[in-house]
Amino acid sequence: MSSQTQLEETLDLSKFFDNLWVTIVWDDPVNLMNYVTYVFIKLFGFSKEKAHQLMMQVHTEGKAVVSSGTREEMERAVQQLHEHGLWATLQRDDHG
Amino acid sequence: MVYGQRYKEMIMGKFKGSAAAGDLSLALSNDELHILINLVEQLLELLGERNFTHHYQSDDPFAQLMNATLGNIQSPIEQPDDPVLRRLLPNGYADPESAAEFRKYTEGSLRTLKQKHLLYLREQLVFPVDHELPKADVKITDPTQWLIAINDLRIALAVRLEIDENGYEKYEVMPDSDPQKHLFAVYYWLGGIQENLISHL
Repeated sequence: MSSQTQLEETLDLSKFFDNLWVTIVWDDPVNLMNYVTYVFIKLFGFSKEKAHQLMMQVHTEGKAVVSSGTREEMERAVQQLHEHGLWATLQRDDHG
Repeated sequence: MVYGQRYKEMIMGKFKGSAAAGDLSLALSNDELHILINLVEQLLELLGERNFTHHYQSDDPFAQLMNATLGNIQSPIEQPDDPVLRRLLPNGYADPESAAEFRKYTEGSLRTLKQKHLLYLREQLVFPVDHELPKADVKITDPTQWLIAINDLRIALAVRLEIDENGYEKYEVMPDSDPQKHLFAVYYWLGGIQENLISHL
């Protein structure tokens, strides 16, 4: 493969978006707000403010995108969120 | 989600030390220990009940063994029937086909992790050597595993008791004669432990 083709493939944005997946956390009536904030900080390395803001988004809007990346990365994130008792799913990013 | 601050005071003063210093402990009465051990053991039993050989109706022990091994790798896994397990081991995808595929490769390890956290908690719950002592100071050597295990117990109870956003209001007006009242009390008591634990991290 020539370097020109490689460059074109890298610049092909539709391909980039096809590979973009998101992890969504859904609201539930059991998890404590402070616990969810703690889990977001622990798993994703967010600041306390960012984690709190995302937790509030889940709480008020019913769901929030907490992470994006490759499908493999999002499957890993969902597994970790499930381990911590949060309700999470992954899907292709619909902004693509 | 729920604001846990109001459960916090139920457990006031029961925690000693700090996670940072590595000497965090929780004072539990023998009755409280009994309740907690009972819940942990029941959930461990529930999580352990999916035995792959049950999917195969063969009486031949060798066939069962082979199927059990193969079953881990090849056969699709249905979503569990029990609502508690459905909540603890949820679908990873909204789309049923992708969810089944994901479950095939991940459910086993998720179960194992949850069992591991609960087993850890079970090992921590020891009665005081001196049986005359009214309370045990239970050491919290790994606060994160405690949090996860306690959270899974809360989730399991909430599913069984069908607790929703208005659960606490329902509990407050529940007559003492209601047979579920003490289970609700245990559920909110666990919430208090969890909320306090987070603030001690």
